[in-house]
Amino acid sequence: MSRRVYLDHNASTPVHPEVLAEMLPYFAEVYGNPSSIHAFGREAREGMDLARERVASFLKVSSQEIVFTSGGTESDNFAVKGLAWARGKGHLITSQVEHHAVIRACRAIEAQGFDLTCVRVDEFGMVDPDDVRRAIRPDTVAISIMHANSEVGTIQPIEAIGRIAREHGIPFHVDAVQTFGKLPLDVNALGIDALSFSAHKIYGPKGVAGLFIRKGSKMVAVQHGGEHERRRRAGTENVAGIVGLGKAVEIRARDMHTEAERVTALRDRLWDGVRSRVPEVRLSGHCAHRLPGTASFLFRHVESESIVLGLDLKGIGVSAGSACTSGNVEPSHVLVAMGVPLEWAMGAVRCSLGRSTSAEDIDYVIECVEPLVRKLRQAMPVGVV
Amino acid sequence: MRYSPTLVDHFLNPRNAGLMREPDSVGENEYEGCGDLTRFFLRVRDGRAVEIRFQTYGCGPTIAAASMASELYRGRLVGDLCRLEAGEIERALEGLPDDRKHAADIAAGALRAAAFQYQARRG
Repeated sequence: MSRRVYLDHNASTPVHPEVLAEMLPYFAEVYGNPSSIHAFGREAREGMDLARERVASFLKVSSQEIVFTSGGTESDNFAVKGLAWARGKGHLITSQVEHHAVIRACRAIEAQGFDLTCVRVDEFGMVDPDDVRRAIRPDTVAISIMHANSEVGTIQPIEAIGRIAREHGIPFHVDAVQTFGKLPLDVNALGIDALSFSAHKIYGPKGVAGLFIRKGSKMVAVQHGGEHERRRRAGTENVAGIVGLGKAVEIRARDMHTEAERVTALRDRLWDGVRSRVPEVRLSGHCAHRLPGTASFLFRHVESESIVLGLDLKGIGVSAGSACTSGNVEPSHVLVAMGVPLEWAMGAVRCSLGRSTSAEDIDYVIECVEPLVRKLRQAMPVGVV
Repeated sequence: MRYSPTLVDHFLNPRNAGLMREPDSVGENEYEGCGDLTRFFLRVRDGRAVEIRFQTYGCGPTIAAASMASELYRGRLVGDLCRLEAGEIERALEGLPDDRKHAADIAAGALRAAAFQYQARRG
């Protein structure tokens, strides 16, 4: 096996060389605690301040509205719990297709006595803003809807939902982990009060992320300790990681538009190639409102993990829409919410392209998919699921 | 690598995959909660399984286990197939990760079912 093709950029991305170069001094040369007032600490603080400025500039907000965290999951938990706990009791609205970080944070809040409404999605994985409007109650304390879905790539009508949230004076959180640095994000125009973002989806390091919190938003901290991050998130900051996040955002602001065009063309090349060779395959998610580099295939009557393994053995990294763990297999909650029939949902395979993906890579993947699916289908009894 | 070269070979090149015309018996096993399913077809001559074919719906190890079993037990007495154990298939695959042990269980259960069906028909 010589060729390696990575098509799992929605899961994580390699650190950009420019990002790595900017981070390296912050491990052994600039090592002070950014909370310390001496020169060592101030140097670390300067690196972090620059990163905060870069993120704020990308989102067109004040740097004081940016809080750094340890990951997208922490950011989502912070937003959901922070908004809910600040109000003590009430009702939350989210959707059926959110990342588990949001859904399970909402469920945890529900277990504490809050009410929860998970609005449905259509067959494309899209939330209807009118469903959100109808779900609003006098005691609704927050709305949390993702910007784009990591599995199927569908981009939600965030602007319309943001307008509804504003009309009702309800704080609006958006999990933008999959769109931050990939699509333009103007939190003011979109009516967003809190927004989760992460570094490792945009060629930054793992273990660092952030949350935009609009100034004046009523939100309590969920992690307690020191006075870090303007008392909103205790714990010594991951300085090198934050520096990397800042650089990654700066690069994405520069490259985002051309890169989106390029990966969109490659994504379409992949889909056209696969559908012209493989029978009974379809694309999940919305055909137009979709992440540039995401193609989620549904192969009928094939088990997705066997496709992932077969492609892995050819040096290709993709992800399965259903996962079998210790003998328990379930289709993804996203596909279930979209009403995808089981015989299709069990064969869900996601390809997510990135800056290293070439046309040759795509052609190689197409070449490998066809014989693999054909062989798997030969062994599989049609109509089992 | 998470899987042995033998398992990978059987996954990529499954032996005896597909339907059998007019089999002497058919046995199926579905793993509860998982949805993986394997179906074996037997052709029996003089009390021995002279031909074994399978169909399976499942992850890579499940396909490999069915393929391995179809080779491992060809030529054996049907009575022996009624007593076969998953561990034998797993050993032939040079091991399975803990979270994929069920692959051998599914194949073993389906092949036993086919053997029992044959014996039941014979009375």
